Amino acid sequence: MEDSIVEFAASSDIAEQIRPKSFSYIAFQQFIRNERAILGLVVLLLLVLAAIFAEQISPYDPYKTNYSNVKQPPSAEHFIGTDELGRDGFSRLIFGARISLVIGFLVSAVSTTIGVVLGAASGYFGGAIDMFIMRVVDVMMAFPLLVLAIALVAVFGPSQDNLMLALICVIWIWPARLVRGMVLSLRETEFIVGAKALGATETTIIFRHILPNVFPIVVVQASFLVADAILAAAALSYLGLGAQPPTAEWGSMLSNAKELMRILPVMSIAPGLAIMVTVLANNFIGDALRDALDPTLRR
Amino acid sequence: MEQYIFRRIILMIPLVFGVTTATFALIHLIPGDPVELMMSNARQLTTEEIDRIRDKLGLNDPLPVQYVRYLTNLLKGDMGDSVRSRSPVTYEIAQRLPDTIILTVTSILLVLVFALPLGIISALKRGTWIDTAAMTFALLGVSIPAFWFGIMLMLIFGLHLDWLPTVGQGKTLIEFTRSLILPSVTLSLILLGLVTRVARSSMLEVLGLDYVRTAHAKGMGLRRVNFRHALPNALIPILTIVSGQFASLLGGAVVIEKVFGWPGIGRLAVDAIFGRDYLVVTNTVLVFAIMVIVVNLVTDILYTFIDPRIRFQ
Repeated sequence: MEDSIVEFAASSDIAEQIRPKSFSYIAFQQFIRNERAILGLVVLLLLVLAAIFAEQISPYDPYKTNYSNVKQPPSAEHFIGTDELGRDGFSRLIFGARISLVIGFLVSAVSTTIGVVLGAASGYFGGAIDMFIMRVVDVMMAFPLLVLAIALVAVFGPSQDNLMLALICVIWIWPARLVRGMVLSLRETEFIVGAKALGATETTIIFRHILPNVFPIVVVQASFLVADAILAAAALSYLGLGAQPPTAEWGSMLSNAKELMRILPVMSIAPGLAIMVTVLANNFIGDALRDALDPTLRR
Repeated sequence: MEQYIFRRIILMIPLVFGVTTATFALIHLIPGDPVELMMSNARQLTTEEIDRIRDKLGLNDPLPVQYVRYLTNLLKGDMGDSVRSRSPVTYEIAQRLPDTIILTVTSILLVLVFALPLGIISALKRGTWIDTAAMTFALLGVSIPAFWFGIMLMLIFGLHLDWLPTVGQGKTLIEFTRSLILPSVTLSLILLGLVTRVARSSMLEVLGLDYVRTAHAKGMGLRRVNFRHALPNALIPILTIVSGQFASLLGGAVVIEKVFGWPGIGRLAVDAIFGRDYLVVTNTVLVFAIMVIVVNLVTDILYTFIDPRIRFQ
């Protein structure tokens, strides 16, 4: 008799409804129900595809100069016209997605990793390590980060790799501060004290108990850092401190377009729109991730 | 309160020390021989000559000695000479600094004039179309590259409508003000979105507090509750944000000064990079950091006047 009731419950929808749902399940459900998140995801996916298949999609070679066809207005052949060397603006725009996305994701991923390690060490071990790391962070916070990045690129020499290096050097402090603060408060919670009392090793506590709790918030921040890195990289490239000519990159395309502003304003408009769309898509995803992953925001 | 301010100033000293250490390290990170960099425009020097100059400049001394000399020189206001203009770096920076300050202060005022009311109204009209519009605007504000926004303003108001100058700085007061409009509006974009969001959330938070409900319960007029009771307390987090983001505003100023040819220290630094004028670069960076530290100190002191809780601690 009892068996049949259990069987009945298991087969029905009720069981599905009352079964406790995991954190990631709820977060996922909430994320995909967010229209902006889906829009952001679709746009980002399209951009990634455009970046991967740039060679196949671009109507022209982005580096092929054509002196008989310079400074052409937008037309059916050249969607946003051609630049002062006769290169197709639209093709350069597509190839530019490559650099922006690589910089955005790489800088965010590396700085977050460095930040998590240093922040966790700082918060968990405290003492001299914490002292040292936090003083470094304090000093760096006193500098405008963009200015510090500019100075570092100036020292390293302007190039795309050095630009990424400089951005990583200045951005890691944000995840480090965030993780340190969270670890500091987690360390005092009952479940960590309990785990310690049960004889859990330090490695177990850090990797099994602390990091999983820090992880969701770190992911949210990392997604916003992608947007920040893309914006900062575009600004530095505009100043000539990033990808060097003739590389097709949005920031340097904008600085190039300055000469053509009067006759070809579209060359100044399009790369900026591309940056904006990329950053906006990222921010949509970041906002949705925050709503989905931050339990304190959950209703 | 004096004790608090005094303690706050004392706490600033190690920070300034750390910042100067960082710029000193930056100078020594620069690849290549400083003498050769300095003399790059002059004729080729022999090894003996270079060594003599190194000795004269103290570059052969051990690093700690150089560091102490660097600090004492800074205290005397000596930042070395610019390679390009041959004039003291201190002079170059001092000449350009007011323009950067004018630009950033104007931008902060613009942010307060636009973002504050917008955030507060969207909090009071929560859930209406005004709220949605303001929040969409705020999201756009944080997603648009500020320097590109400047280029767009230049295209529209400078080239297309021909209302305002696009580059440089006007000489007369009227021309100066006209040339300040586009750069400062552009720079204000950096904080516009953020401050609108913070103003909204901080106002919403205060509106939900007990004392506001008490004021309503007493039968006080809506206007009086919102603006006399809630607003002043909602302003405190906004002060924190504006002061905390002052650094990113200065960072943005560097790029925007370059876009509009505004003769501040940001443009000075960027031009110096390409002229390999490293002393100008590193010292401008230092001046930026000092500005941030001073602004944060002033804000902390302001708190003691605004928020009595800090005064009585």
